[in-house]
Amino acid sequence: MILKPQLQDLKNIGYYSGKIIIGVGLTMLVPAVIGLLFAEINPALDFLIATEITSIIGLILTKLCFTEEDLNWMQGMIVVSLSWVAAMLLGAIPLYLSGHWGSYLDACFDVMSGFTTTGLTLVQDLDHISYAHNLWRHFTPFLGGQGIVVIALCFFVKGVSGAFKMYVGEARDERLLPNVIDTSRFIWLVSIVYLILSTLVLGIVGIANGMKTANAFFHGACIFMAAFDTAGFAPQSQNILYYHSLLFEVITIVIMFLGAMNFNLHYHLWTGNRREIWKNIESRALCITLLFTFLITLIGLNQVGSYPRAVIMFRKGFYQLISGHTTTGYMTIYARQFINDWGALALAGLICAMAFGGGSCSTAGGIKMLRLGIIVKALQQDLKRIVSPEPAIVEQRLHHLKEIFLEDKQVRAALLITLAYLVLYGIGALVGMFYGYPFLDSLFESTSAAANVGLSCGITTPGMPAGLKLTYIVQMWAGRLEFMSVFTLIGFFIAAIKGR
Amino acid sequence: MKIKSFYNAVFGIGTEIFYAVVIILAAFLICIAAYFFNYDS
Repeated sequence: MILKPQLQDLKNIGYYSGKIIIGVGLTMLVPAVIGLLFAEINPALDFLIATEITSIIGLILTKLCFTEEDLNWMQGMIVVSLSWVAAMLLGAIPLYLSGHWGSYLDACFDVMSGFTTTGLTLVQDLDHISYAHNLWRHFTPFLGGQGIVVIALCFFVKGVSGAFKMYVGEARDERLLPNVIDTSRFIWLVSIVYLILSTLVLGIVGIANGMKTANAFFHGACIFMAAFDTAGFAPQSQNILYYHSLLFEVITIVIMFLGAMNFNLHYHLWTGNRREIWKNIESRALCITLLFTFLITLIGLNQVGSYPRAVIMFRKGFYQLISGHTTTGYMTIYARQFINDWGALALAGLICAMAFGGGSCSTAGGIKMLRLGIIVKALQQDLKRIVSPEPAIVEQRLHHLKEIFLEDKQVRAALLITLAYLVLYGIGALVGMFYGYPFLDSLFESTSAAANVGLSCGITTPGMPAGLKLTYIVQMWAGRLEFMSVFTLIGFFIAAIKGR
Repeated sequence: MKIKSFYNAVFGIGTEIFYAVVIILAAFLICIAAYFFNYDS
């Protein structure tokens, strides 16, 4: 029997969602201040209006639904999934007011793309956008990558039990420290330390390449936020191609790696356990899948002969591959070159890399290295079972922060989420084909959206059908939250209609 | 204790960057190998 949600359920969901919405509203003050610093009055006003609307909605929710009860699992999951939708709807207000997005749906698409660290964009005339709006575009992945809920946990949420349920709902099932609020603070510490270091390095490289000082550091900060949080936004429409610098590209590759690394691994390395990086199943799996997909891409590119020189192969072939594998989406080629210059085999290698994704509990999307590692280990265990004498007990171990004995429930969970991702990639490809796009193009763009990558082969443009925009928005949302919160929300609506 | 934490964090960052640089160098070597392979053929 399905139970109908009670008033207390709605109050808990409303109260905690309200707190997160207030948090989102306050973050919009950052681009407003930047706008004022650069003497951009109208863009600053866009953000002040959006902050006001968002804060009022958040305050109304917290007052109307005031409760002192802690969240249960179902409520925690629903708060997360609804908060992400609310953040998209409210975060799109300043973008829409700027006039650089063709419709409110386009603005919502870009904000969801930002929060989910995807990087697909529908902005028009990006090269003439204000600093404030450009900062907001890059700030959304910085907030969403670490987790919108993680921000709220740092500042607004006191109840540790309810906090953990929201933390898990946001696809972060590993605690670094015993207290989930301390875990959230460590995640932010890593991000802020790298923000300062990388902005300095990228800024200096920008100045050396002839950029003005303020512009160089602004670009440095924006590029870091989008690279570390594995989103593919860049301040200029030509993306990373704009900088024409090998050094800039190498630095962004390093930042992409850092972003695709499990925060738990960061914690172990930062607390003295430096050997962990060479033993961890995720860093090993990343090396193996990277080598595997790069060889496929390399063979494909050699077949068509697009990049005959080693340096060009590295800067065009490997860069797109690592960008896809870490689910960042930075590009040093134009979108249509994937279709015109790459050939089917190279594209297949890149699609595999995008589908695999980065580390679990990182800012990356996709199936994740830990799940792939578990599936391969389970396969090894079954093979050992077949060749072993019948009464033998075959145990399989894997190293992820500590030695773990592989259990059936871990394999089941890994396989189920992997299957869900594959279905999501497939559904998006079917919708793309429904709108008349070729199979490979549709699969490429769908995988890019669902794995929160952001590489585009040219389908994602302001002129694409609204149905496809909505499909990609849902794919980005479900892919980032890793399905459980989304499934819980669907179950909640079914219970509200059919429950007793 | 604080000095040890700082030391660990700095070397932790160094290890992470070293890991990324090793992979980048490996990829570059593969690109060079592919170039010579193509050149011979």
